[in-house]
Amino acid sequence: MPDIALQRPGLSRERRDALLGLLLIAPTVLVLGAVIVYPLLSAIALSFQSVYTPTLEGHWVGLANYRELLGSGGFWAALLTTAIWTAGTLTLQVLIGVAMALLLHQNIIFRSLARSLVLFPYFLSTVVAVLVWRWLFNDLYGIVNHALMTAGVIDAPVNWLGAMPNAMLSIMVVGAWKFFPFVVIAVLARLQTIPEALYEAARIDGAGPISRFFDVTLPQLRDVLTIVILLRTVWDFKEFDLIYLMTGGGPVNGTRTLPLIVYQQAFGLNQMGMAAAYAVSMMLVMLVFMLAYLQRARKAAA
Amino acid sequence: MKKRSNVLASFVTWPIVLLIAFPLLWMLITSVKPAAELFSTSPTLLPKAITFEHYARVLQDTPFLQYFANSMILATSTTVVVISISVLGAYSLVRFAYPGRETLASLVLFTYLLPSVVLISPLYLMLVSIGLANTLASLVIAYTTFALPYALWLLRSFMAGIPQDLESAAMVDGASRIGAFVDVVLPQALPGIISTALFTFILAWNEYLYALVLVNSDEARPLTTGVMTMLISAFNIEWSLLMAASVLMSVPLIIIFAFFQRHLTSGFGAGGVKG
Amino acid sequence: MVQVVFEKVSKAYGDTVAIPGLDLVIESGEFVSLLGPSGCGKSTTLRMLAGLEQPSSGSIRIGDRDVVNLAPAARDVAMVFQSYALYPHMTVAENICYPLKKRGVAKADRAIKLAEVAALLQLEPLLARKPGQLSGGQQQRVALGRALVREPSVFLLDEPLSNLDASLRAHMRAELIELHRRLGKTMVYVTHDQLEAMTMSSRIAVMRAGELQQFAPPDEIYNRPANVFVAGFIGTPAMALADGSLADGGGHLVAHVGPLAVALPYAAGTRPDAVTVGIRPEDVLVGEGPWQAQVRLVEPTGYETIVALDAGGLALTARVPGSNALRVGETVAFDLRRERIHLFDKSDGRRWEPAGR
Repeated sequence: MPDIALQRPGLSRERRDALLGLLLIAPTVLVLGAVIVYPLLSAIALSFQSVYTPTLEGHWVGLANYRELLGSGGFWAALLTTAIWTAGTLTLQVLIGVAMALLLHQNIIFRSLARSLVLFPYFLSTVVAVLVWRWLFNDLYGIVNHALMTAGVIDAPVNWLGAMPNAMLSIMVVGAWKFFPFVVIAVLARLQTIPEALYEAARIDGAGPISRFFDVTLPQLRDVLTIVILLRTVWDFKEFDLIYLMTGGGPVNGTRTLPLIVYQQAFGLNQMGMAAAYAVSMMLVMLVFMLAYLQRARKAAA
Repeated sequence: MKKRSNVLASFVTWPIVLLIAFPLLWMLITSVKPAAELFSTSPTLLPKAITFEHYARVLQDTPFLQYFANSMILATSTTVVVISISVLGAYSLVRFAYPGRETLASLVLFTYLLPSVVLISPLYLMLVSIGLANTLASLVIAYTTFALPYALWLLRSFMAGIPQDLESAAMVDGASRIGAFVDVVLPQALPGIISTALFTFILAWNEYLYALVLVNSDEARPLTTGVMTMLISAFNIEWSLLMAASVLMSVPLIIIFAFFQRHLTSGFGAGGVKG
Repeated sequence: MVQVVFEKVSKAYGDTVAIPGLDLVIESGEFVSLLGPSGCGKSTTLRMLAGLEQPSSGSIRIGDRDVVNLAPAARDVAMVFQSYALYPHMTVAENICYPLKKRGVAKADRAIKLAEVAALLQLEPLLARKPGQLSGGQQQRVALGRALVREPSVFLLDEPLSNLDASLRAHMRAELIELHRRLGKTMVYVTHDQLEAMTMSSRIAVMRAGELQQFAPPDEIYNRPANVFVAGFIGTPAMALADGSLADGGGHLVAHVGPLAVALPYAAGTRPDAVTVGIRPEDVLVGEGPWQAQVRLVEPTGYETIVALDAGGLALTARVPGSNALRVGETVAFDLRRERIHLFDKSDGRRWEPAGR
């Protein structure tokens, strides 16, 4: 069957082309509109109401939710907690990620197997990761306590998840373990594109391995690290599954981050309107951060 | 330094690799240890005896298989829906010119970074009002909220890498716009489509929050919330069961990872994954 | 055998005007090169002819049809791309048959056509291979084959040889010339390489910044360039161009350029106030003559020596046959072939011919 487009008077070819383009993106627009844009707008509308979750009955309260949120201290504490969690786990993710990428870039034996083992945590379900680590951190039977006691580092079993600051440190470590492979993959891919000639020139100029890292490698990694840090910050900030499953926000709200408050408000305290207010506030914080970050990055690159 | 193995680096790297992989190895070991061996205050590294009773119990005495089937249906459906929509959408974003295209691309990027928690309440309300609460369908709908932007972003990068000359040649040779898409772009984009499909499947398989909020009956429950329910409902936390369940839950991921690792990691150059 | 006509064709991208207005008539069976530096609009023009880009205004006719609203598939043109654009997932045979498939040609007929083209271009041993397994030259021939198999009215070639190495390029140039001679079809060829344009074309369209500078057979382009740009663009080493003026030297025309006063064999009549004078290297005669110049650079090429001269501030290049003992810094005498000196009106850069030339 010949596949030749026919001449159609009236619509120019450019117009017809544009229409086809619009047709192809229509399903996307419809779906995203329905499941993201509309709910997002609803969330904002919800935040001005008080809604009782089980019955879904609600009434308008204007800015009351926000006033309560900002004044109660719960928001600010959670914001601080989220910031600490994000900063801590991000630092670990980046440091370990870059280090592993550098190591995996070398020609080590069984390199692909090493790569697979290092990357796998990222693709695991958070549920599995949490179960495994909770078992490792178990105060009585967990092997972490056993190993540390055998090594003489501690005298008595440590309560990793039920006391502060242990709980915060524990989730930072688990977060690092789960998410650092993202950094590894991105950095490793970039490392593999750095021309060998740059290192050779540096070597001829007399640079040792440490200064080669700082003067050749790091500048080349700057672009990918900027994006990686931005993405990981955003994703760590909004992480719910890991913290909820590890500690539930405890002990005594010690690890209660903003996403957890949103969930608790909506389905624990049955206050959907309040939950929405928290969620919208959280989003605004993230937005401010992203804009500030991008501006700084643009300035640094210029 | 590239030709022969770097022994020094190997000696430094492998211990770290084993340390990173240890939790997973421990999960495996724990799942085959008899219960008695498990609950001692001085746990052993290697099991004295190996048993598969925990696996048998998980498969026979719990709704695990139901959850597994649900996850399979859920992840597969999500992948099919998302890939169909995003292949067309990505092509549109990459090869067509129409007003609003750049805005759409930026919006896609924005939704990529959106926190799920913002959407859980309104989505819950929406799905309840259309009568889909507590169904797998509701989860498929919810999962597209994060899977679709991400798939679009990945596919867009992959398709942008296909030389435009190929489509031009096809059109001069006699193909229509759509013909060129089917004959040339799709075959060339196939590795990218496979990558994206695998990622979408994994994302859907691993998703927890939406499953937690939208489904609370065993018929529709996927593995993620299902396995955690098995934890909460028991008075005694059955670690051996949980470890066995964890291993089983990860089987599809291990298979995908073993065979398709190259596909999965190629996507990272193209823009990154949902964290 | 069809004529191709561009009538007042313009192309703008938003506010940038790439091509202000092009009028070009390509006769049936001609081999026309679109020649010019990067960004001159030659590829855009070709793509508009193919239907891959839309002109902002104007009409394009192939034969007697206005094709502006026709899709590429409906225009009966075939195109060879600079990157060859072979379908990587199809074999050579499938690549070549693709246009036939799209036109609904029956399987048996496709096989016949494929065999013809494969024989013509010596592609038989390659038919089962994929493009990734072919060398550059082989890929190029497959691209040609894919274009030939449809027997279109017009062939479009977008710098098809620029990705080949020098020796292969020379070989393919000869093959393309032979192909054109054999088929007699209208061919439109885009290139930035003057040698290709000069050796292959029946006429060359020199373009610059979207505007047609001159459209003429190669020998006219070379010997009677229509303006300063064409004069400087065509010819290697480039023509020497310098500002000057014309005066009446007792009834004869005298050109003053640099420190030289050059008597020209034409009557002095109405003339432009200021001119640009152009002298090709082969028209500078080193050894004997009324003027002196210092040797600045000597480049022996084996066959001849290219010498850069400084005649009191005026920079000239000369071609001296054979190898010789010229040294940098030496002073030599030289003369100019007066009747081969080019004159361009300084006000608009256009070629100026004195009466009687």
